[in-house]
Amino acid sequence: MAVPIIFKTIEETGISTWIRDSPSIFAYWFILSFHAIGMGLLVGASVVIDLRLLGVAKDLPLSPLKGLYRIIWIGFWIQIVSGALLLIAYPTKALTNPDFYIKLTLIGFAVAIMHTIRKRVFTDSALNESEMMMKGKALAVWSLIIWTGAVTAGRLLAYTYNYLKYDYRG
Amino acid sequence: MNLIHVHLWLNHLPILGTLIALALFVVSLASDRDDLKQASLALFVMIALFSIPAYMSGNAAQNVLKDNPNYSMEAIQAHQGSALIAFLFIELTGAVSLMGLWRFSRTEKNPWMERPAKWHLLAVLVLAILTSGLMAVAGNTGGEINHAEIAVGPGPTSAIGDFGFRLANKVQHLVVDSSMWVWPILEDLHFIGLILIIGAFGALNVRVLGMMKRLPLAPLHRFIPWGIAGFFINIVTGMLFFMGMPGFYTPNVVFQIKMFTIMLAGLNLLLFHCTSAFRSLEHLGPGEDAPLYAKIVAASSLVLWIAAIVLGRYIPFGEVS
Repeated sequence: MAVPIIFKTIEETGISTWIRDSPSIFAYWFILSFHAIGMGLLVGASVVIDLRLLGVAKDLPLSPLKGLYRIIWIGFWIQIVSGALLLIAYPTKALTNPDFYIKLTLIGFAVAIMHTIRKRVFTDSALNESEMMMKGKALAVWSLIIWTGAVTAGRLLAYTYNYLKYDYRG
Repeated sequence: MNLIHVHLWLNHLPILGTLIALALFVVSLASDRDDLKQASLALFVMIALFSIPAYMSGNAAQNVLKDNPNYSMEAIQAHQGSALIAFLFIELTGAVSLMGLWRFSRTEKNPWMERPAKWHLLAVLVLAILTSGLMAVAGNTGGEINHAEIAVGPGPTSAIGDFGFRLANKVQHLVVDSSMWVWPILEDLHFIGLILIIGAFGALNVRVLGMMKRLPLAPLHRFIPWGIAGFFINIVTGMLFFMGMPGFYTPNVVFQIKMFTIMLAGLNLLLFHCTSAFRSLEHLGPGEDAPLYAKIVAASSLVLWIAAIVLGRYIPFGEVS
């Protein structure tokens, strides 16, 4: 399958070249650091909600945990911005790797599950604690499974690519 | 100062520290004083933590000595091997001590779980005695590198060193050469550990700092073991990375700073979340503000763990070619 020429065009832009090749400490590794911190916030806060729904720290009142969604969204937007910059730096590397699409799909599902938990468990103020846990249990299990898959798919991107750049097979 | 200084300075800590902590532990058991038990368990954990850089810096010392014909390679390998075995035992002692220490930090709601069980303390005692012996072997073999005159020749000591050296080589082979998938799987686990650390410690720390104030503090403490599990996963996978490519990590300044940061983050975790120090905060109910000292501890924990993530990502940047 031919690699679309537009990837080459993106790679030749100034911002792509700078992120990829600049020796500055604020280039590639800086963005990658943000991507790791964003993951910690996004997935870490999700995991805390999931574990609580599954019965960890039962004495902890559930409804104030809604506040963790603020951290989830901060993490999510850090991931969107830093991820977009990493994609601009290495479009061919990411977009020619099937694993990249698996990762994005899993993230989509995981974020949708977290959103559903918010809607069904946290927004309905008529529910008591045990009803909240009942409603959230299955969703929490799926959230943990899919986040694990998403993180794994993301981590494996560094080891499974076919092209590093448009003109450079990895 | 170079890394050999670091090794010579750090390596006395596990050897003497284990003996001192063991002595204190025996006294605490004999006098049945909970404060002393707690102090000695915390000491074991602290020694386990600082044994990580002690072991790692040995690689730097080895690199300097290995091309010098005045030093025997066999002596160096015997030391490396016995140091690895002693290291594994102090880590095990530290882990079992931490689980015991955990009981002391439990909230008053579970009074029957306030202190560790007798068999638990006995397990720490047995492990600590074994570790002391192994530390002595590691110390002696280390001394023999510079003082061939004290060498006693083949014996049980060299059998331990030999076994440890072969184990180190086996681990290196497993991590680097056995399959191209071992390293990526370890990286994946390392990231999952990171998520548990940030999730569990982060949730508690942001509450202390004033977010989600409607949460009472004591039950949030139940997430700490999940963070400790993440830390444990990352120590194991991190050590495997190091043993796979010691030559890559040892001279890397970014890696060295990361290790230093993790020591500080580990001490923060140990002293404030795993001892009875936390009991001073457990009465914090919904809506109540944490005292300033608790906020400083929480903020420094967050900063240190985030710094560890950033430094980890910058390790390739610090590669010495």
